[in-house]
Amino acid sequence: MGRLVLHRLAATVPVLLLVTAGVFALLHLTPGDPIDAMMAESVDAEAKASLRKELGLDRPIHEQYAAWMRRLLRGDLGRSIRNGEPVIENVSRRIRPSLELALLAMAVSLLIAFPVGIVSAARRNTAVDRAGTSFALFGICMPNFLLALLLIFLFGVTLRWLPISGYTDPVEEPLNGLRSLLLPAVTLGLALAAVITRTLRSSMLEALGEDYVRTARAKGLSEWRVIRGHVLKNALIPVVTVLGLQLGTLIGGAVITEYVFALPGVGRLVVEAVFARDYPLVQGVILLIALGFILSNLLVDLLYGWIDPRIRYR
Amino acid sequence: MAATASEPAGDFTRRDFMKACAAASAVSVVGLVRRATAEAPKKGGTLRVGFYIEAATMDPHLSGSKVDRQIYHNIFEPLVTLDVKLGIKPGLAESWRQPDSKTLVFKLRRGVKFHDGTDFNAEAARFNFDRMKTEPKSVRKGEVASIDSVDVLDSYAIKLNLKRPDAALLATLTDRAGMMISPKVVQERGAELGRNARGAGTGPFEFVEWIKDDHLLIKRNESYWNKEGGPYLDRIRYRPIPDDTVKLQSLQAGEIDVIDYVQPRDVAAVKADRNVAVVDVPSLADFAYQLNHTRPPFNNKALRQALAHSLDLEQIVKGVWLNVGRPANGPIPPTSWAYDKSIAPIKRDLAKARAKLAEGGQSGGFTFTMTTNNLPINIQEAEVIQAQVREASITMKIKLVDAATLLSDGNSRNFDMISYQWSGRPDPDGNTYQFFRTTPGTSLNWSGISNPQIDSLLDRTREVSSQAERKKLYGELTRLLQDELPMVFIVHPVEPKAFSPRVQGYEPIPDGMMRFKDVWLR
Repeated sequence: MGRLVLHRLAATVPVLLLVTAGVFALLHLTPGDPIDAMMAESVDAEAKASLRKELGLDRPIHEQYAAWMRRLLRGDLGRSIRNGEPVIENVSRRIRPSLELALLAMAVSLLIAFPVGIVSAARRNTAVDRAGTSFALFGICMPNFLLALLLIFLFGVTLRWLPISGYTDPVEEPLNGLRSLLLPAVTLGLALAAVITRTLRSSMLEALGEDYVRTARAKGLSEWRVIRGHVLKNALIPVVTVLGLQLGTLIGGAVITEYVFALPGVGRLVVEAVFARDYPLVQGVILLIALGFILSNLLVDLLYGWIDPRIRYR
Repeated sequence: MAATASEPAGDFTRRDFMKACAAASAVSVVGLVRRATAEAPKKGGTLRVGFYIEAATMDPHLSGSKVDRQIYHNIFEPLVTLDVKLGIKPGLAESWRQPDSKTLVFKLRRGVKFHDGTDFNAEAARFNFDRMKTEPKSVRKGEVASIDSVDVLDSYAIKLNLKRPDAALLATLTDRAGMMISPKVVQERGAELGRNARGAGTGPFEFVEWIKDDHLLIKRNESYWNKEGGPYLDRIRYRPIPDDTVKLQSLQAGEIDVIDYVQPRDVAAVKADRNVAVVDVPSLADFAYQLNHTRPPFNNKALRQALAHSLDLEQIVKGVWLNVGRPANGPIPPTSWAYDKSIAPIKRDLAKARAKLAEGGQSGGFTFTMTTNNLPINIQEAEVIQAQVREASITMKIKLVDAATLLSDGNSRNFDMISYQWSGRPDPDGNTYQFFRTTPGTSLNWSGISNPQIDSLLDRTREVSSQAERKKLYGELTRLLQDELPMVFIVHPVEPKAFSPRVQGYEPIPDGMMRFKDVWLR
C-alpha cells in the first residue's frame, strides 16, 4: 500500500509537468495581453512597456516558463499580475468555499442518490423505478444555470427562505454559512445525484443477478439484508469511481454555479484570471486543481481495496 | 432650476434628453425625489450596494477600472466636481482662475483633513500631482500630461503650469486625476495602499476594510468638512455579484439596496416592479465600431460610407437596446454641452449605399469581418447589423472574442471593424482627441485615421477656452467624422440604476458614478 502511494505520487510529477507546460503554451498563444487588459484605458505605451519588462513579459516564452519553473521548485507560485498578491494567497482565500461547496454538494447528492438508486434497482420496472429514472434524466438534462435561477426564484425571491447570493463562512457562522451554501450545493448536487443514481442502479442490478445473492435469499435473509449486506457493497466500486472523478471536477469546475451565486471559489478565480490574462495566477490555480484531481483519484484507488478486499495492490 | 453660468444659452438638447429620461422613469424617479423632499433625511443604516465585479485597487493613481471609481467618489475627493448638468463646481478647491491659457490657479479649501488626521493643503496637492506624473505604475500620466509643473503659491493655493493650453483639464480633474490622497499614507503604506485605503481620503466616507472576493466596507466620516447635508449613512457595503439576473433578484428580494446597472432587457420589467425604483442616468458613453483605415476594405472611404448608409440606427436602438439609449450622431453624447442636435445621425439609405459601393469599385458588394465582445447584447447587435448590411449586398462575418483579445486585436490593428464601447468623459475632449488625432504608436486611435483637418480641429478645441466656440468646433468635427468615418457611431446608452424604495436622496450625475454623501435610508 505504501509503495502504491509512493508510486502514484511519483507518477504525478510528469503529469503536472505536462499540464503546466500545456497551460503555459495555450495561455501565451491566446491573443490578449495582461498589461493591456489591466490598463485598458491608458494609452501610455511607455508605462505599459516598463511594466511588461518588470514582470518579465517581454522575454521569450521558454525563458518565462523556465523562470516560472525555477520559482516553483523553490515553492514560490509567483504573484498575480492583476492584484500583485502572491498566487498562493489568492488561491487559499478561494479554496475553502470551493471545498465546502464540493463536500456539501456531494453530501446532497448521496442523500438523494442512495435511496433513489437502491429503490429503483430493488423495484426494477415498477412505477417507483420509472419515477427514479425520470428524476435522473431531469437532473442530467437540466442545465446548471437554469436550475440555479429557478431555485433562486423559488427559495430566494418568492419564499425568501434562503439567501440569493454571496458567501458566509460556515466556520464563523455555522447556520448562515450553511444557508449560503445550500442552494448552490443543491444545484450541483442534483446533477451529480442523477449520475450516481444511474450508476448505482445499474451496478446493483448486475449484482442482484449474481449467484451469491440467490444463495443469500435461499438462506432466508430478508430482502433488505440481502441488499445491504451483499448487493450494495459489491455495487459500490463504480459509484466510488464516479464520485472520485466528480470531486475533482467539483473543486475546480463549479464555475457556473459559483458565478451565479457570487461564491468566491476557485472556479470563478480561474475564469477571471483567464479573462485578465493573469498568467501566474492561471498557472498556479491549474497546477493546484490538477494536484487535487490526482489526489482524489488516488484516494478512490485506496478506497477500492477497503470496499473490496479482493483488490490488493502490489 | 436656473441655468448655470457654464451652460450656453439655447442648449435645449441636453435638457430635452434629460426630460425624456425623466419622463420615461416618471413614477420611480418622482418617488425617489418627492419622498426625499417630503421627509427630513435620517441618519443611520447600512447601504448595501451590488456591483458586477470587484474593485481592482484602492489607489486612484493606479486604477484602470470603472468600478474602482464608483467607490473612490465616496472616499476620495477631487479638486473640482460635476453637477447634474456636467457643470464644474468646487470640490477640494474652493475656486480657480485661469490668468492665461497655460496657467491654472486653484485656491484650496481650508480646514479639510485627510481621514488619517493630516491636513489637506497645497503641499499635499503638489505631492499628488508629482506622484501621478512620476510613479512608474501611474495610470494617470496621460491625463496630467499637459501639466508641466506645480507651484505652491501659499499654504492653500497652487499653480499648475501647463506645457500647452488644455481646455479639458478642469473636467479631467473631476475624476481620479483630481483626487487627493494623504501623502503620509502613500509614503508609509506604499503598495499596500492598493488593498487598504484606511486614512487615505478626505471624502464623506472612510475606508474600513476590504475582504477580497467578499465585500468592501466604508463608514461615515464623522468630521467631514462639508456640514451641508450628509453623510447620513452609517456604512456602505459593496459586494460583487457577477450575474445580472441574480444581482437584480437580490435587489428585489431586499438583500441589497442598490445596483449599478440594469440591463436593457430587464428595464421594462423592473420599472413595473413597485418594490424597486429605477433612475435612468443618461451617460457620457459612446458605443461605436472603429473601422480600420490601414487595410482593405475600409481604407476605401466610399466603402466606409456605403457601410454607414446601410445601417439603420433607429432599428438597432429600438430592437437591441430596447430604447434604453439614443442613436448616435457622433462621439459626443446628448448629455454634453458640446452636443450639436442640429446634426442628425447618419440615415439608412440603401440607394446611396449602393451608389457608394459602385464609387468604391465594389458594386457587387464586399465582405468584411466584425470583431465584437462575446456578450449577449453585442451578439444581438452584430446579428442585426449583419442582416442590415446584407440588404446592401455587403457580407459581414462575425468574430466573437473576449475583452482581452478585443484590446489586443485593436491595439495591433488586427481587424476590419471592431466594437468600441467607451464609458465617456465629462469633457468632449475625452471622447474625441485620443480616438481621432494622428498618433504614432499605441493609442485608442485604432482606426489609424490621420487627417490634417481633424487634427487641427482637435488641437484648436484644446486651445480655445470659450465654451461656445469649443461647441462650434466640436460640431464641425462631428460633421467631418460623419464623412471620414473612423468609426460608425451607434448608440449613446442610458445607464439605468435601480434602488430599493428605502433609498432616498440620490442625485444622478451623467458620469454614472454613485456618490452617496446625501443618500439616506427611510
